[in-house]
Amino acid sequence: MLSRPTTEQMLRGIVADLNATVAPALPDGPAKVAVAMMTQLLLGCAVRAAHEIAWMHDEIAAIEAAVGAVPAAHGESLHLDDVVVRYHAASAALADAVDAAYAAGDGPRVEVLRQLLEARNAHEMEIMGVLELVGRG
Amino acid sequence: MHNLDEMPARLAAFLAIEEPGWRDIEVTSYEVMTGGYSRLLAKAVVRHAEGEHVFVLRGDPPADKQLIHTDRQLEWEVLRAMQAAGVRVSTPRYFDPSGDRLGTKALVLDFCEATSLLPYLAGTTEHEHRVVAEELAATAAAFHRIPVEQLPASLARPTSWDDYIGARIGEWKATALAHVESLPVLRFVAAWLDAHRPPAVPLTLIHGDFQTTNLMRESDGTLVVLDWELAQIGDPREDLGYFKAIAQAAGPDLTGIDADAFCARYRELSGMTEAQMNPAVMAYFLILGVVGTVRQLIEGGAAFSRGENSALGTLFSLTNIQYGQMMWLQATRQLDQAFAAAQEA
Repeated sequence: MLSRPTTEQMLRGIVADLNATVAPALPDGPAKVAVAMMTQLLLGCAVRAAHEIAWMHDEIAAIEAAVGAVPAAHGESLHLDDVVVRYHAASAALADAVDAAYAAGDGPRVEVLRQLLEARNAHEMEIMGVLELVGRG
Repeated sequence: MHNLDEMPARLAAFLAIEEPGWRDIEVTSYEVMTGGYSRLLAKAVVRHAEGEHVFVLRGDPPADKQLIHTDRQLEWEVLRAMQAAGVRVSTPRYFDPSGDRLGTKALVLDFCEATSLLPYLAGTTEHEHRVVAEELAATAAAFHRIPVEQLPASLARPTSWDDYIGARIGEWKATALAHVESLPVLRFVAAWLDAHRPPAVPLTLIHGDFQTTNLMRESDGTLVVLDWELAQIGDPREDLGYFKAIAQAAGPDLTGIDADAFCARYRELSGMTEAQMNPAVMAYFLILGVVGTVRQLIEGGAAFSRGENSALGTLFSLTNIQYGQMMWLQATRQLDQAFAAAQEA
């Protein structure tokens, strides 16, 4: 397997070419809007390709530290589909813990769980980059 | 509807039935429009012996390309009700309820010559933004004030505010539970909203997608409200919170230039009390007010994951969910801090 250029580098290269070569050749209209959407999505894919498995692993560990062991979140495989299944299990445990904390009126516990969600959201923001309302208005 | 070879003839045949008094109908121009993600749009120039018209056709995409699922019949009825109530909309002219004649279920509206509000705001000063903000409060209050009995019978009538808000909050949790993966941010939002319910108000018509990109400005300053596909009966503060939410990503936030003044103007026109409508309540609805769109976008993402949807717009719209999560978490934290400070005081 050729690991370099990395997937992130390849996707960013494709975006550069779309912006430099394809988009300027298109008239205003649906095709141009579609290319603008594609470039935004590809940039997000580049960030995910570089980090998503590590980020999901880190989050699973942080969730377990806060809510206790989640057996379904354990496993060795680093294939993306397997990591996604484990991440889903940890996320479900986090969501249940949020419900329980609010039901108990446990403010400090809510704060601990909220910080986990804010950490998750920081990754989402890196993936999203700059939000552009392509084709609107 | 985007078949440029077929559509001029289809539209001419359609108009010949709708307008039997028009002679020698010719569609002299037919072009695809951008401007919305959810429906197909096209602009047509029609000439006949008695005159010339410019129309917008707004129809359903094919099933596997639909970002969200809404009802053109209901949108048609709401548009007609808005027109009858004097709310400024793109005038609804014709409707193909089966799609047999226009290729898909489609509305035919007058083309609106007004200026899109987003670029207008981008080219004007804060002073002008304050003027538009006042008009925005008046525009929202105008359709929020329409008596419910004057609205289409096909719009569902919630039994009470408590039941309605409970269901709206429940929609966050239900959306999270129905998704193809766990979404703990949505569960957090549901729990937070339930713990901080504002005072009740009468339920009214709400637009459901009230944002700058669905508004146009006429030369006299009047705002034209477009895209009524998500209209329903609900809490009117949802529209204002929704506007504020979208404006965080595509400013300026007209509701926030002077939030106290905006709320006061809206209260004056709507009859709400200060407890019912103030900047903190508007921030609460910044979160609650987007749930309908959030559900639709997340359902689109789930359909894409299952291979039931292949629309590029579906994927792109998920960036709104990413941004929204950041905004909801920030808003809940800021409001919690404000409530705590108020309690201490």
